[in-house]
Amino acid sequence: MWRFRHGLAFLVVLVVIFEVLGCCLRVSAVNDAEADAKTAITEAEGTVLICYGAAEEAERAGANISDLQGVLNEAGWLLSRAELAYEMEDFGLAVSFADQSKARLDGFVADAEVLRKTAMHAGYWDFMANVMGSSVGAVAIFFGGFAVWTFLKKREKEKERV
Amino acid sequence: MSFREYGLLFWTVIGVFTLLAASPALSRLLVYPRTEFFTELWILDSNHRADDYPFNITRNHNYGVFLGIGNHLGYCAYYLVEVKFRNQTQSAPNSFNRIPSTLPALFNTTAFVADEGVWEMPLTCSFDYEYNETLLQVEFYSLTLNNVTLDLRNYTVAWNSTNNVSFGNLFFELWIYDKTTGNFHYHERFVSLWLNMTV
Repeated sequence: MWRFRHGLAFLVVLVVIFEVLGCCLRVSAVNDAEADAKTAITEAEGTVLICYGAAEEAERAGANISDLQGVLNEAGWLLSRAELAYEMEDFGLAVSFADQSKARLDGFVADAEVLRKTAMHAGYWDFMANVMGSSVGAVAIFFGGFAVWTFLKKREKEKERV
Repeated sequence: MSFREYGLLFWTVIGVFTLLAASPALSRLLVYPRTEFFTELWILDSNHRADDYPFNITRNHNYGVFLGIGNHLGYCAYYLVEVKFRNQTQSAPNSFNRIPSTLPALFNTTAFVADEGVWEMPLTCSFDYEYNETLLQVEFYSLTLNNVTLDLRNYTVAWNSTNNVSFGNLFFELWIYDKTTGNFHYHERFVSLWLNMTV
């Protein structure tokens, strides 16, 4: 009987120890999942901000960024879903959405840079043709007209003298 | 007719050609500078008009509206739209004090809008709620917005027995990203829909 009681007590202690350990592990797993989700969201937010900066630079150079805007908005929507999932403590879903958001922005900065360079190149030629070319052309026409006028006036005077 | 008599005609022709040649440059140089920088925020009904907004709401029925932003700030802007819901007694955004509602956002969505660009999002929403006959109030469970289910538990709307209505206010606050602080700040704009939760 005494042995049975000790055995039972030992079993109870074992169960309690396993339960406490299991609880700790579960809490730890949840904390890990939460930390992973937080990291994924922070990284996605950082990526979105970098891409936003790249899009803004491209726009400042005169590029049409409507395609970039579309991609950014898709990534932003996915990031919003990730943040909502995080608030609802669905950390797995939060990581999934954050990763999708980041994946949507793959190659974005390179695309924005290409657009920026193309726009700068186009802007340079636009300036050369439409501002410089047009100004030089206008000045040339005016002074050309003046030269023609002076030449014709001189010839007229010579004719009058004869 | 002597050469000198043609002078006026000659210089007129030269002047016209000079202006024609200079017109591309002039069109870029003589541009009136932009002086007003602002953002538009609008909400339209499902027909893209402003006359048939959802009002009498039935439980779990879908209602459509369009939420739009027009950017005239001179640069590509990064906006945040905070979706909030309140009853008649809860904090509302204030147009005079230019402050947002103190209520927590149910959902945030971002919008990137190029300068002189427009962003528009179709919104489909439905409410899940129940009328509590003891407390004479509508008690909410959830709001589904574009297939995203938002938790509306703890949200209630009192039944107004005089007018037989129970008003809830769904509103959208506009926030803008400030690069210098690295945070969003309230952009002093909101649009809202007053909804009568029918039982």
